[in-house]
Amino acid sequence: MKSKTSPQIAVHLGRLKLKNPVMTASGTFGYGEEYADYVDLNRLGAVVVKGLSLKPRLGNPPPRIMETTGGMLNAVGLQNIGVDAFIEEKLPFLRKYDVAVIANIYGETYDEYKKVAKKLSAAKGVHALELNISCPNVKKGGVSFGSDPKVAARVTQAVKEEASLPVIVKLTPNVTDIAVIAQAVEKAGADAISLINTLTGMAVDLKTRKPYLRNITGGLSGPAIKPVALRMVWEVVKKVSVPVIGIGGIMTAEDALEFLILGAKAVQIGTANFINPHATMEVIEGIKDYLTANKIKDVNEIIGTFQP
Amino acid sequence: MAKNIYIGEISKNKEIQEDCFLMKVKVAASFETPLPGQFVMIRIAGLNDPFLSRPISIYSFSRRNNFCLIELLYRVVGKGTQIMAGLIEGSQVEINGPLGNGFEIDSVGKNVVFIAGGIGIAPMSLLIENLSRRFPSSLMTLYFGAQRETAVVGLDKPQKLCHDVNVCTDDGSLGEKNLVTQAFQKDMKKFLPANTSIYACGPRGMLLSLAKILNKGTFNCQVSLEERMACGTGACMGCAVAVKDKKNTLAYQRVCADGPVFNLRDIIWE
Ligand SMILES: Cc1cc2nc3c(=O)[nH]c(=O)nc-3n(C[C@H](O)[C@H](O)[C@H](O)COP(=O)(O)OP(=O)(O)OC[C@H]3O[C@@H](n4cnc5c(N)ncnc54)[C@H](O)[C@@H]3O)c2cc1C
Ligand SMILES: Cc1cc2nc3c(=O)[nH]c(=O)nc-3n(C[C@H](O)[C@H](O)[C@H](O)COP(=O)(O)O)c2cc1C
Ligand code: FES
Repeated sequence: MKSKTSPQIAVHLGRLKLKNPVMTASGTFGYGEEYADYVDLNRLGAVVVKGLSLKPRLGNPPPRIMETTGGMLNAVGLQNIGVDAFIEEKLPFLRKYDVAVIANIYGETYDEYKKVAKKLSAAKGVHALELNISCPNVKKGGVSFGSDPKVAARVTQAVKEEASLPVIVKLTPNVTDIAVIAQAVEKAGADAISLINTLTGMAVDLKTRKPYLRNITGGLSGPAIKPVALRMVWEVVKKVSVPVIGIGGIMTAEDALEFLILGAKAVQIGTANFINPHATMEVIEGIKDYLTANKIKDVNEIIGTFQP
Repeated sequence: MAKNIYIGEISKNKEIQEDCFLMKVKVAASFETPLPGQFVMIRIAGLNDPFLSRPISIYSFSRRNNFCLIELLYRVVGKGTQIMAGLIEGSQVEINGPLGNGFEIDSVGKNVVFIAGGIGIAPMSLLIENLSRRFPSSLMTLYFGAQRETAVVGLDKPQKLCHDVNVCTDDGSLGEKNLVTQAFQKDMKKFLPANTSIYACGPRGMLLSLAKILNKGTFNCQVSLEERMACGTGACMGCAVAVKDKKNTLAYQRVCADGPVFNLRDIIWE
């Protein structure tokens, strides 16, 4: 079938070696087990788990989600079981698979980020950390860590001091100049940069004149945000030399390839999983088909080949 | 058999009451037999607008020679259900399921009471079918409420299988002019908490009234809840409902994966 002629699709993000450039995006794939019936997790480039905090988080009151044109708003508010329960209850399941596990982490203070990073570095079966300095749905920390270059650099540095694992810093699009933040975290030691998180948005119920989300605002995700995500990835790859992971609105292999051509070394697929749990598998196959059709032997040959 | 995405083929999609449709969908024989209270996430194959899939309860299910037939009973309330209503025979839909935890049905009391409001009858019908088959000696009573006669649906099977069916409408156009919860409350002394199982599904307001009515007693009541959903599989945390957890503190649980069936007593109404 796809024996010798199958293109090479492994990518390296510095020390982090992935079977292919397709990962799941944090918060859209649970802790992996939620989709294990639908997807062979072994085939993924990496599983990025729901954002973890030091203590369990209750999350925001409902309603938390609203459909919008070509996407959705969410204000989940980082509900999660906490890093200790993750290590005890969820990680053993993921260890059964031959897949890179990336723990997305969140803190309200530098110290919290450090503690979570330290616990995860000591746990068996985590391959990298992704710092969420960009969640728009929590009051403290979150987005404020990601919108000031000095603060973003400081949290990156703080985690780097504790973590033996590669550190990916995930950026928010809700800033004036994302490249400035990217450069700041690169300088502070980030091993890779992922972007974008959700764009802050709203929706109004005409019947009640109330917001559809209890939190009033929420994060927009899905195909509606892809053009913005592409533009931001483009701005960042021009300015940094660490690997960049493209995220935002990817539904198909064509979408993923746009990010790779711009210079992203890998991609994450988020909201698409909700409506098509096989999305990641279809994207992996579609990338291979594109490479084969274009007689390209290695996916790395197309990364960063954008012709502006 | 793992949960999966099935391509379903519509074999029937007909308006059976005002704004209320019955859809029959053929799916592969590997579809897991659903438990009463479980649901599917449905979307139109290849269509990305509306973007998210819609949760719909399984109203009826049967196995045929080499396929399964899923029946869905749905009310047109917005864009997604409107588009569903326009689908013709032979159209394809994507079905993810069966999802969620159904009602607890391992044992029931001597009396079984069903309380359904509007389209909330959909999961109740499958439940009634299942329980009346398995517990033929239990006494089954249905309280059903709808706005008006033209909104009364889904009573075919309950009328055959329940010993007593009480129909209420808001305007009295069919049955008693009353709220379904009040009709139940009037009869409540007929039932003893120790040997009665109550199941309910309906609009939030109905369930809240029921919670107030049952608040003081010790009746065991399972309810099926609705919330907006994105994934339907427990991954997004979008469909949260406030409940009292084991330690009696507030927790947000997922309607899709921890429910949709909850113990009425555990729900925190805000
Ligand atoms: C577990 C579960 C089982 C369900 N079973 C059935 C069923 O058997 N038959 C049936 O007719 N309906 C059922 N529903 C409700 C159904 O999912 C919604 O009516 C549907 O999603 C509305 O989609 P729409 O695009 O037509 O409306 P929209 O335009 O999205 O919304 C129109 C109205 O419906 C409400 N609504 C939207 N989504 C939901 C939702 N997920 N739950 C409750 N209300 C919602 C909105 O608040 C709004 O008032 C069920 C819901 C859940 C969660
Ligand atoms: C329901 C939901 C929950 C999310 N939770 C997190 C989270 O915990 N941590 C995080 O870094 N990003 C989170 N995100 C953002 C996604 O990882 C991703 O960056 C964003 O959705 C854009 O990608 P997409 O358009 O492919 O979904 C969440 C997104 C959604 C829709
Ligand atoms: S709809 Fe995603 S967790 Fe329930």
